[in-house]
Amino acid sequence: MSDETTFELPRTYDRFSASDRVQHAVMVISFLVLTVTGLPQKYIYLNNRYLDDLIDLLGGIEGVRVVHRYAATVLMLATVYHLLAAAHRVLVRRVSLSMLPRYQDVVDALQAVRYNLGLAKERPRTDRYTWEEKVEYWSLLWGTVVMIGTGFMLWNPIATARFLPGEFIPAAQVVHGGEALLAILAVLVWHFYSVHLRSFNRAMFTGQMTEHEMEHEHPLELARIKAGEATRAIDPVALARRRKIFLPVAGVVAALLLAGIYWFVTLEQTAITTLPR
Amino acid sequence: MKRLRLGSGFLLGSALVLLAAPTRAQECLDCHGQPGSTVSFKDGSSKDITIDAEAWAASVHGSMGATCTDCHTEHKEYPHPELKAGSAREYTLSHYTSCEPCHDEQFKKQLDGVHIKAIAGSHKNAAVCSDCHNPHAQKKITGEDGKLLPEGRVGIPQTCARCHREIQVKYRESVHGQALVDGNPDVPTCIDCHGVHDIPDPRTTAFRLASPRMCADCHTDAKKMAKYKLSTQVLRTYVADFHGSTVTLFQRRHPDQVTNKPVCYDCHGIHDIASKSDPKKSLQVKANLLQTCQKCHPDATANFSDAWLSHYIPTRERTPLVYWSRLAYQILIPGVVGGMALFVASDFLRRRLDRRRHLERRHRGETA
Repeated sequence: MSDETTFELPRTYDRFSASDRVQHAVMVISFLVLTVTGLPQKYIYLNNRYLDDLIDLLGGIEGVRVVHRYAATVLMLATVYHLLAAAHRVLVRRVSLSMLPRYQDVVDALQAVRYNLGLAKERPRTDRYTWEEKVEYWSLLWGTVVMIGTGFMLWNPIATARFLPGEFIPAAQVVHGGEALLAILAVLVWHFYSVHLRSFNRAMFTGQMTEHEMEHEHPLELARIKAGEATRAIDPVALARRRKIFLPVAGVVAALLLAGIYWFVTLEQTAITTLPR
Repeated sequence: MKRLRLGSGFLLGSALVLLAAPTRAQECLDCHGQPGSTVSFKDGSSKDITIDAEAWAASVHGSMGATCTDCHTEHKEYPHPELKAGSAREYTLSHYTSCEPCHDEQFKKQLDGVHIKAIAGSHKNAAVCSDCHNPHAQKKITGEDGKLLPEGRVGIPQTCARCHREIQVKYRESVHGQALVDGNPDVPTCIDCHGVHDIPDPRTTAFRLASPRMCADCHTDAKKMAKYKLSTQVLRTYVADFHGSTVTLFQRRHPDQVTNKPVCYDCHGIHDIASKSDPKKSLQVKANLLQTCQKCHPDATANFSDAWLSHYIPTRERTPLVYWSRLAYQILIPGVVGGMALFVASDFLRRRLDRRRHLERRHRGETA
């Protein structure tokens, strides 16, 4: 072997696919729009001048409500896409279920706390997704489900009251506002710290992570990659067979979910109009 | 002849209660004190020009020493100059400005009122000063502090009823009107909602949007409400709900913005406001509330109206779902975010410490 063949470029590792990054960008935009149009609605009773100005800037309260609903629709579509993409990964490509919470995550979390308090010798050595990332991912998914459910009740109160006691609607208002505040604060504290303040993690924009970053944040995954265990060879025949089943089923599920969203957003408009008809 | 009548008039006047009154009024009363005097106008209308001397003497003007010609300036001479007005109403309208010199404040206010605008249009019968306050008999209705006396308040609906009869009939049967009839001056009369002198047009959007504040003036006053065991949370709960938040937003930002959102009177009635325990009209009757909802939410069914918590603050007993949801997030938000913040703070400090130790180690390694 000559020197030339052993020369190595600083290696980078794939972390997020283009699809992941686009999903993230769509979610960021819809989350921001939902925040900007949601908070002034939540705090309208405060008579705050700046919130009132914001409402006027966005086209008045009816405009704010309409924009909020558009952004919510985008988020619901992104959620459907995400679920189907995740199903494809798990069912067709059979990737390891690295985002599922495990007992090890609890151990890692406790070790991280103990390390920060000086009670443990080192930080937990984390795998592809750290316990912190899992907290964030599952909070987001759970929060989205709560927001979609309560959002439905607020958007379609007449349909809701047909099946549930009327009290669900003011309760939905409380939960929708509470969950929103929880999500916004969690993003500000948890997400901003772990990927922006601690060190700026560009993986969600570039899709890549450097070896140095991998060593610090995902040492176990790095070790597995280096040992050649990270990527399993996929049998192309089996893959094609699974894909042949997955695509039509996913198509039907997608059609049903999209029909559900269409029903959701077109069912009632009386909760939004402020002008007499 | 004239002198003689004047003299006898003076004696007659003194025999009544007018010792302190100036002679000028007596001069006029010589003729105008005679019952049944009328004056006719070109269009055939006529005006009673008899002045009840007793009422005049007891009136605020008479007792304070005002004289007839203070207002009727063109009638200083006798025989009087011929009247310019073509009708009785025209005469009234041409004379209402005589109030201005003394009652400048009220006069200016009424120039912004709905009545004067109606007169400027084609409704010549809309009220001017003297239609509500008969200047020849008006008693003092304000106290030393300038506020209306209780006896003044009680009489207000009758004054308005001279023109707005149907509304007064409705009002009289309302929870407020019944109390007023019983002599209770606590309740609102016409002017508490509609104002006085600068009465705004109640058909405007601005009036509609401002109306919750009118009701709230009394209904958030703990002292007033305690007396009747009424809740002071009615505005707060209304504003916290979808409808109230929109209405109050419009009111403070765009008072001319038309809205379909209900205000207090859409559910409680306008002049026929009933007590919440009134069996006939009570809002507690679900069907009543549902009907109100259906005006804007036509497909609403029985459960729908329960979405409105009827001004009640959510409690464990009455609305457990709302109560527990609220409590859950009151615990969840500080719990979760606080936990996150604690970890973030510990992580941040620990990393800073690690970095400092690392640098120290390197520094020692270099200098060693």
